[in-house]
Amino acid sequence: MMSLAPRWRHLRIVVQTVFLLAFVAAMWALGSTFVTGRLASGLVALDPLTAVTTAVADSTVPAWAWLGLAVLILTALLGRVFCGWVCPLGSLQQLVSWIAGPQRRKRPKLNRYRRWFALKYLVLVVGLVVAAFGLNLLGWIDPIPLLHRGVAMGVRPLWHGGQMTAGWVSFALVAAILLLSAWMPRFFCRAVCPLGAMLGVVARVAPVRIRRSGTDCTGCTLCLMACQGADEPLGDHRVSECHVCLNCLDVCKEQGLRYGVDSGPDVLSTPALDLGRRRVLVAATAAVVVAPIVRVAGGGGPARAHDAIRPPGALDEDAFLARCVTCGACSASCPTGVIGSDLGTTGIAGLFTPVLDMRRGWCEPSCIRCGEVCPTRAIEVLTPESKQAIGGPAEVRIGTAFVDRGRCLPWAMERPCIVCEEMCPTSPKAIWLEPVEITRRDGQRIVLQRPMVEPELCTGCGLCENRCPVGEQAAIRVSSVGETRDPRNRMLQSRTDA
Amino acid sequence: MGDRPSDAYDRRIDRRELIRTWGPAALAGVAVTALGAGLHDRPGRHRPPSLDTVPTPKDWRLADDGHGRLAEWGGAGSVANLRRALAAMGGMAAFVRPGETVAIKPNCAWDRTPEQAANTDPELVAELVRQAREAGASSVVVVDNSCHDPDRAFERSGIGPAARAAGATIAHQHSVRTVTLDLGGTALGRWEVLEPIASADRLINVPIVKHHSLARATLGMKNWIGAVEGPRSSLHQRLPQVCAELAAAFKPTLTVVDATRVLTAGGPTGGSLDLVRPVDRIAVSTDPVAAEVWGAELLDLGPRELPQIAIAERLGLGTADWKAVSVPA
Repeated sequence: MMSLAPRWRHLRIVVQTVFLLAFVAAMWALGSTFVTGRLASGLVALDPLTAVTTAVADSTVPAWAWLGLAVLILTALLGRVFCGWVCPLGSLQQLVSWIAGPQRRKRPKLNRYRRWFALKYLVLVVGLVVAAFGLNLLGWIDPIPLLHRGVAMGVRPLWHGGQMTAGWVSFALVAAILLLSAWMPRFFCRAVCPLGAMLGVVARVAPVRIRRSGTDCTGCTLCLMACQGADEPLGDHRVSECHVCLNCLDVCKEQGLRYGVDSGPDVLSTPALDLGRRRVLVAATAAVVVAPIVRVAGGGGPARAHDAIRPPGALDEDAFLARCVTCGACSASCPTGVIGSDLGTTGIAGLFTPVLDMRRGWCEPSCIRCGEVCPTRAIEVLTPESKQAIGGPAEVRIGTAFVDRGRCLPWAMERPCIVCEEMCPTSPKAIWLEPVEITRRDGQRIVLQRPMVEPELCTGCGLCENRCPVGEQAAIRVSSVGETRDPRNRMLQSRTDA
Repeated sequence: MGDRPSDAYDRRIDRRELIRTWGPAALAGVAVTALGAGLHDRPGRHRPPSLDTVPTPKDWRLADDGHGRLAEWGGAGSVANLRRALAAMGGMAAFVRPGETVAIKPNCAWDRTPEQAANTDPELVAELVRQAREAGASSVVVVDNSCHDPDRAFERSGIGPAARAAGATIAHQHSVRTVTLDLGGTALGRWEVLEPIASADRLINVPIVKHHSLARATLGMKNWIGAVEGPRSSLHQRLPQVCAELAAAFKPTLTVVDATRVLTAGGPTGGSLDLVRPVDRIAVSTDPVAAEVWGAELLDLGPRELPQIAIAERLGLGTADWKAVSVPA
């Protein structure tokens, strides 16, 4: 019979539930104007790995890095409590393996340490080396951004409506991780997670850890069966692998295990990280070779597609890629749903980074929410005025609209239409109408107003493209040229002489 | 069965066993046949429902109001102007009876502040809400299908906070469902209409006077584009006809034309305050055509310069000669 007395497990489940609910609340809060952007994306900032990769890739320590530092200090004192008690992806995996049942979850063999669990340390090494080349790719599998992106891009459209560009890929990653945890408890945490690897290294110095007095143990393996981290509480306890779930304390009938500081005999030894110097060297060397190739041949940078339009306030492409951890917070915060997840147009380095699809939404004139929620400042916080072009060109432009004269109704089909001009929110309007008298095919003389774009005034907001009555491919489309974040991506010389 | 020995090769079964063994199979057979008969692919199976099953919009005008009237006032601020003009028309109680539901349709299309004059004056909308509630309306809803993000348009225009404070609920395309109505005409036909408008007992149209590049002016008739949902961009290819037909489909109890601030160019979005002219006038009318012409004159446009006016007159919606129906305020 299970005891009803309060146990470590019960406390842990309560804390895990609180953080899972906080995660769900954040998904709502991102799109709400009642919660500050920083708070809404706070869980991403709490992940110390996002701070470290951003610091390495962009040579700047983010302002919120103290949050991650606090987690690191906590880890150095108490071990990987973040993994066992906080991380929502870990909690979800635990939930899935609980649903999969005790026959599967509690097999002693399944919960033994395996040498290939050291893969996660190599993932971390490769990710950090690649980050040193300015590519912030760890966001792909850093658990908090990964789950954040999967829900923001894949699940949120269920209630927010609309189609999310390539959102299914991000969701599929989360789904795969959860399915694998049905096979082996916390497979992702044990073998892949680079955040777990970093916290594991730090946890090795933790004074508060699982300890065993030695004399009472009967070798019953109950602790092993309940172990989440495969850290061998029965033998050579691997503190670097332990998630501090404390299941082993709860199940030990002899009460031979305890979680605390050193006080007397402790028979648990702490083996070294299962990671040869050679393996680290090979991984680092491979990353040193691959990273520059990804940069020059990965399809991003100057070769990126014309329709890869970044959110307003995005840094120039190099700095943007160095900072963006692809958490999808910007996308979840967007009131019009224009921000999607890139799959290919900005190259390998831009995989999952935010790009705007004007047929799905538009950039709302006074809205600066994506910058407010961006946890790494890959998107700067703007003022609403800076992107509105009221009374003259805007300070921040994300692209330029081009009329496709072969598809436009007044240009090509002898029909009146001024929707793009009507929608244009700049003042004076970037889209203006040229009155032209034409002879229709049936001989009738009519006056048409044909849309023209004044590129200096266009902010690239895309409302024209969004509302163009020409279906699928609009007759007016925004292209990234003219974006203010990248002075190289321009087409116009200044009209006025200095 | 009694006297015969059981024989595996010549087995007889009784009625009960027959039902037990073959009954489910027979039932399944009947069910499959019925499903097949009911769902089989036949011509017309996926044709959309016929048009004549779709209802037409209500007529929100008061039945006893035989001919249209128009009252205007100016120079006293939007709230006082409205009170004076509405009083000349007999007060809100003449138009809203106790227990009726009222929908107010301002222009709340844009992510703009009141000063930019792209949206209806929020104080005017709030005063209409208060008047309707004082007249005994059971509920008042302020509704629009915004062109920008509706949450932001309602907040930044000031209409959302002001109307809520006055006791109305807010409705827009993201917050309410739509119903399919046959709006008739040659350019409209079936459209999705925001449910609070379709179901309201009384409907008040509150446009703002603005410049528009294709329609010359955007006033009460074009304001109804904010009542429908769907491929609205396609409506601009026959805009004068569309505006007149919208006015024929949506016959409001009252049209209140907001000329507190008039957007003289760069409409319908505006932006720069240089484009805004303070006029400080309000007209209240039961004749939407007269109200339209009254507003157009503030943009120095005559009835002949707005083709939708002539079409609306032909459709019998009212008179372009607003002075003929004017009542002193």
